Amino acid sequence: MNIRFYILRRIALVIPTLIGLSILTFSIARIVPGDPVGLAAGPRATEEIKEAFRREFGLDQPLPIQYINYMTGLFRGDWGESLYTRRAVINDLRVYWPATLELTTAAVVIATVLGVPAGVISAMYRNRLPDHVARVLSLFFVSFPSFWLAMIFQTWFARDLGLFPIGKRLPVLVSPPAPTTGLFLIDSLVQLDLETFLISLRHLFIPALVLSFGAFASITRITRASMVEALEKDFVRMERAIGIPYRVIIFKYVLRNALIATITVISLNFGWLMAGAILIETIFDWPGLGLYAVEASLSLDFQPIMGIAILYGVVFSVVNILTDIVYGILDPRIRYG
Amino acid sequence: MSELLNIDDLHLEFHTYDGVVKVLAGVNLQMRRGDVLGLVGETGCGKSMTALSVPRLIPMPPGRITAGRVTFNGEDILSKRESEMEAFRARHVGMIFQDPVTNLNPLFTIREQLVDAVLYQQAQGKRVPGRWRGFTPSVRQLRKEAHERAVELMRLTGIPDGDKRIYDYPHQFSGGMRQRVLIAMALAGDPDLLIADEPTTALDVTIQAQILRLIRSLVAQLGLTVLLITHNLGVVARSCERVAVMYAGRVVEESPVRELFRNPKHPYTRGLIAAVPQKDVHRGGLEGIPGIIPNLINPPAGCRFNPRCEHVMGICRESVPPAIEVGAGHHAACFLYAEDA
Repeated sequence: MNIRFYILRRIALVIPTLIGLSILTFSIARIVPGDPVGLAAGPRATEEIKEAFRREFGLDQPLPIQYINYMTGLFRGDWGESLYTRRAVINDLRVYWPATLELTTAAVVIATVLGVPAGVISAMYRNRLPDHVARVLSLFFVSFPSFWLAMIFQTWFARDLGLFPIGKRLPVLVSPPAPTTGLFLIDSLVQLDLETFLISLRHLFIPALVLSFGAFASITRITRASMVEALEKDFVRMERAIGIPYRVIIFKYVLRNALIATITVISLNFGWLMAGAILIETIFDWPGLGLYAVEASLSLDFQPIMGIAILYGVVFSVVNILTDIVYGILDPRIRYG
Repeated sequence: MSELLNIDDLHLEFHTYDGVVKVLAGVNLQMRRGDVLGLVGETGCGKSMTALSVPRLIPMPPGRITAGRVTFNGEDILSKRESEMEAFRARHVGMIFQDPVTNLNPLFTIREQLVDAVLYQQAQGKRVPGRWRGFTPSVRQLRKEAHERAVELMRLTGIPDGDKRIYDYPHQFSGGMRQRVLIAMALAGDPDLLIADEPTTALDVTIQAQILRLIRSLVAQLGLTVLLITHNLGVVARSCERVAVMYAGRVVEESPVRELFRNPKHPYTRGLIAAVPQKDVHRGGLEGIPGIIPNLINPPAGCRFNPRCEHVMGICRESVPPAIEVGAGHHAACFLYAEDA
């Protein structure tokens, strides 16, 4: 089986997953106790007004019909509208989602770039000083609640030292780059606007760093553990016995064996961070999806809830597919198996 | 011919939670260039540890060499720095192991592993221009030559269609073919000494015979010096010129192969040869050596075989028997042959 077929099969497997997810979230959003229409129309709305609301949002139809209407809408780009703001969900997602994606991706990149080398060094110097330092650091970072660290960092780096801005994606007076992806870093680079790029990088740095700590810790630990395991393999002794230098064995032969577990943890972290970014977003006044999602779920605003669930489902699936592809590249037995 | 390897009075301990295991207690072993020496003994007698002391791959800690010397070509191995050892292994030693399935890296093609073996053994500890840096015509030429050498090595070790199969992954090879690949990797830099640690134990009997035949033909073609470790006396009889028998961390007898089978001297060797099943096994039943191998945390004083020996004497419990010459090139470490005992 070649790699192209392997990738196609992975993608095909995602379709039933997404259908299942949509049915599940749709049912939950409609079956939860509480009356979204009552909440939206206000306490003194008459039965006629509520009835009009229901008709407008199609809530008077049987559930299966509602589901089919919703799904066909999805593909036409009509993701419904909020009961409260009356804005189209798709437009809200377009505004908020890139901010969260940028923050989460930056955090995962930081955690990977720092965590994998830390894990490798830990494993190479097992039970010696560099290992202890890396392990204490990662324990330190998982042990502190991220919102607390966020406030400490905000106080030190932004208020006291003035090195970084307190929050937001950009200062009020700087206009964001014309949206192609909605990710400020990429958009400003595409337009060769280096100044905006640097400004948004400075805004991104502290929130992303704080968000990355938990992921850094888990990536370090899994890398260390799987490196230690891979170093015990017979082929390491064989490679040493025939005179391959230790550094080549570590960075070429052992690391690839260890990375399979690490890739899994990186992709899981990506999902967790995306869902868990809300605290950081709140503290740094980061206009992301987290706040939007919380507001929608507190007010039973079912269209945004559905939209967010579907979006996250798609993103998770994409991350999963990418992970599977990386597995296939790293390990030929997965590709051919 | 000159002496290639000299292991002199090597003592090795392992520190475990149960206590200090005295794995090797004064191993003496000499090899000349062109020797094919079989090292036999039971599981746990220290064969593999003796062999691993040459490329210095004994895990330390928990292992610790408490006494003795290992010299190779007159160079003292135990005092080398680790970076020197890397160059030493690349230049002088090739090693193959028991299980060809776990000894190849499953994630890399044979080409990747074999070409690296060629390149790093040629470089002998110096840097090899990688694929990332310095992709100049000379580097490309170097890699092309290494690839050709790799295919040549596959042909030498009897792998058919090496020029195509080199692009395959280890899991696409059978066990016997993988062992051939490992032999090719070990031979990539024309080592002075090939150490084969139970190279056929994990293979089918028919494949075992093929691998042994391959090693014999390589010895004939390349004039290899081979240290062959096995617990199988049949393998020794077919493949080696000399044999050293180990028991509980010491070499108890050393002799030319024919002489050993015809005229074993040490009581342990006699027991070992008697224990080989004969054709008429159904009549006599299997012979064994009474007793069990000693606990090496608390080994018996004197000769470590004394609790199981039928000829045991008082002195055997007090002092360690020296190697006594009992024939031409035939030594046995047993007081039975001491003049004054």
